[in-house]
Amino acid sequence: MKNTFRGGVHPAGHKELTRELPLQLFNPKGEMVFPLQQHIGKPAKPVVKKNDPVLVGQKIAEADGFVSAHIFSSCSGTVKAIEKRRVLGGQLADCIVIDNDGQFTPAEGFGTREEENTLSDNDIIQRVQDAGIVGLGGAGFPTHVKLRPKKPDSIKYIIANGAECEPYLTCNDQLMRTNAHDIIEGLELMLRLFPNADGVIAIEDNKPEAIEAMQLAATGHTRIVVFPMQTKYPQGGERSLISAIAGVDFSISQLPADVGCLVDNVGTIYAIQRAVLYKEPLFAQCFTLTGEAVANPGNYIVRDGTSFAELLEAAGGLKEGVTLRKALVGGPMMGVAVGSLDVPIQKQNNGLTLLAEDPVEAAERVMTACLHCGRCTTVCPVGLMPQLMADAAEMGNYERYEQKLSGLECVQCGSCTYICPAKRPLMQTFKRAKAEIQAQKKREGGGQK
Amino acid sequence: MNTALNLSTAPHARDRWTTSFIMKVVLLSLLPTTVIGVIVNGWHALWIVLLSMVTAVASEWVFNRICHKPDTIQDCSAAVTGLLLALSLSPSVPLYIPVLGSLFAVVIAKGCFGGLGKNFINPALAGRCFLLLSFGKVMSTFAVDGVSSATPMAEMAAGNAVDITKMFLGTGGGVIGSSILAMMVGGLALWAFDFIHGQICFSVLGGFTVFLAIFGGHGLDPHYLLAHLCGGGVVMGAFFMATDYVTSPVTRLGQTVYGLTIGILGALFRLHGSTADSFSYSIIVGNLLTPMIDTYIVQKPYSLRRFGRKTLVKRSLQDRIPRPVIALAIITAVAGVALSGVYSMTEDTINEQKAEAARASFRVVCPEAETFKAVGAYDAAIEGQAGGSWGTNFGRSKINEAYMGVDAAGNTVGYVISATSSDGFDGTVTLALGLNAEGVMNGISFTELHETAGMGMRADEDAFKGQFAGKASFPLKLTKNGEASAENEIDAISGASVTSNAVINAVNAGLDFYESVMKGGN
Repeated sequence: MKNTFRGGVHPAGHKELTRELPLQLFNPKGEMVFPLQQHIGKPAKPVVKKNDPVLVGQKIAEADGFVSAHIFSSCSGTVKAIEKRRVLGGQLADCIVIDNDGQFTPAEGFGTREEENTLSDNDIIQRVQDAGIVGLGGAGFPTHVKLRPKKPDSIKYIIANGAECEPYLTCNDQLMRTNAHDIIEGLELMLRLFPNADGVIAIEDNKPEAIEAMQLAATGHTRIVVFPMQTKYPQGGERSLISAIAGVDFSISQLPADVGCLVDNVGTIYAIQRAVLYKEPLFAQCFTLTGEAVANPGNYIVRDGTSFAELLEAAGGLKEGVTLRKALVGGPMMGVAVGSLDVPIQKQNNGLTLLAEDPVEAAERVMTACLHCGRCTTVCPVGLMPQLMADAAEMGNYERYEQKLSGLECVQCGSCTYICPAKRPLMQTFKRAKAEIQAQKKREGGGQK
Repeated sequence: MNTALNLSTAPHARDRWTTSFIMKVVLLSLLPTTVIGVIVNGWHALWIVLLSMVTAVASEWVFNRICHKPDTIQDCSAAVTGLLLALSLSPSVPLYIPVLGSLFAVVIAKGCFGGLGKNFINPALAGRCFLLLSFGKVMSTFAVDGVSSATPMAEMAAGNAVDITKMFLGTGGGVIGSSILAMMVGGLALWAFDFIHGQICFSVLGGFTVFLAIFGGHGLDPHYLLAHLCGGGVVMGAFFMATDYVTSPVTRLGQTVYGLTIGILGALFRLHGSTADSFSYSIIVGNLLTPMIDTYIVQKPYSLRRFGRKTLVKRSLQDRIPRPVIALAIITAVAGVALSGVYSMTEDTINEQKAEAARASFRVVCPEAETFKAVGAYDAAIEGQAGGSWGTNFGRSKINEAYMGVDAAGNTVGYVISATSSDGFDGTVTLALGLNAEGVMNGISFTELHETAGMGMRADEDAFKGQFAGKASFPLKLTKNGEASAENEIDAISGASVTSNAVINAVNAGLDFYESVMKGGN
């Protein structure tokens, strides 16, 4: 096994801001907002009405179809409204708004540990589905779908993704330090579904405490290895992990399961353990509040539906004398820049990074023409040639972009954009090119019918 | 507080390296070379460097102003162009040369094609080649403190031995940036810290060396190979010119193809070209091939490569390497082999013809002689020419042959000497000069003269060469405008002073040889 993938970049980590701060539960006071779409797939359907009383862990919206996920309340109180509210992307979306009574009274039916040996494989997957678990690494793909691949016997590796290669974020680091046993248990439950698989816990080597904790917890578990990896972005990308661990690079048109792998974030695996053994639904997850503009950075367990602004305020707000220039949900490499913090935290959110200086703004001032230095090609984890792709896209030569340069294989990790000395906006170009090509295909497909 | 939040696409982090940072590092890596160049060549060299850089930056600024483009001098690429150009100039050029060169490099070669990143040839090289074509004479005059000297490259072209240690340190003459040691330190540092692509510089050097080793005629003789590697800007070209990002391919394979092409062409031009500046031209050819290489050689993502390997259908070579590249490689190889083959096959014939031409010339300049007798002492003196040239007062002139003219009765009726000067405008001038038994010149006759038609070629007209008959005093001097009056004066060919000088040097070397070796002997 190699311990890394080809290419990659080394952005400044900034993890020292929060790496030693343990997770603490944050109980919000204000109203809670639950968007009906917090996952890839169809939005969930509400199962509560206005003025209904709700308890912590109560199902408030039901999955609509197989690729969809239930949504649970994270507080107790009454349903205030089901209406359009502003969400992460800046758009309005259907949300269930709950008036929080501040009591956090739990619902019945979860919290007591069960003996796992009595559970069948189907029970495990059913409980994961019932708990509304989605991938907590960022994508939000419903986990029960992942656990039902076409050929379970062909799965060779179940990879617990504890790489946390995103700068600034440390909540998974803390989770692994404090809940190592739970993660191992969750991984063992998953291994029961896949008889031919080994469990691999992938952790970047900038987290020695987490590696040590996981190694200690994994002692005696013969099917599980802890796999320290080079600290390099995008080490935690699912393709990077599979390239490093299984030695396979696969096309964007394939899924990890097609090459015998299954990747889940350690946070997701922890949620699986809670769901299967305690029947606990997913309504809270670990979260890092960080960035140079924050007065008191920290690691939290946040309840879904909490407003980012409330969390920030409760944590002490912004540093004195600092103007907030950029708010990122997630870290700087993959995170989404938001225009307002008055939006709710969703299941797949794992951090808020607040910056006093915007590196993109600074970079745009020193932008030059492409030098053809080839750095983007060197760092591309997929093995693409970003500068030629950008040339082709800018000239509108989408045929060369797609056919000759395989531009659609881009995983949009942003390594090329990070490394570019000319500060070219490569990612934007590629996103636009991809949208353009897809639109073109749709037009052509429509024409044939 | 949320009013001023910036929105943008991920990633929201950027590396520290910027275009201007890279350019500044390149400038820094050239600092040792520049310092040594200035120390060795004196203050004039410093003025050349400064003027070249200032002109480059200023002309970029003005050009952008005129064209209403954003100011780009902060990216420092103009300064790099100016410095590289200056380092590739002779330390004795007049100061308008770097100014014109930089102007051409920045405005014509770069600005007019859209500025940094859009130029298709390396601006510094374009500037240098512009100067070479427009000011050939000035550009190939190398003088330090007014004393003209032979560059190692010219020495090598003339088949003479060179001092590699001096070339390595940069004290052996040549351009300002001729210190190979300093160049290597800077270039290797750039490579070690990932500023330039190793595939390019090492394949240039590798291709050059291997080609010379195979076709150079000296095998793996380290002295021969090192002398060629150290001379003529090969190291500067490999590390600083060929590696220019903008004008080199982006894939590793493409870079290797590009580097090998430059190296092989450079060696080919070196062996069979007419000029010592061949390496600049070979890099320019590489630059011109770059767009084609980048169009055809692109890398596939790892995933597709892997599946490509798994397929059972064996793909032909042609599918994997694009056809133009194969064609190019074959043409290069065939041309190289053919040229070398033809040269070595015809070498004997050429030498025979040269000897025949020499004998014919001897008859012209010593008509009384029936046969030309070799004399041991002459040959020994010719063998013993230090550094391949006769004495130090005649430029790069050497004595090829010398014979005693003997009539049918066996009496000495004159002397003939064949001498070559390498200071001609376009290579070498070889002539035969003949003296009668008393040491009075019968005249001269050219055996090798390929100067500029209408200018240097007029040396072969009687108006010029007829002046030599009857001269008996040594050394001969050149005068201009038909003022020759004294016994030892010769009128120069107007407009061809380089050729005139070469001829006079060769004749004087021959006369000196006569005075010191032949005269009074038997």
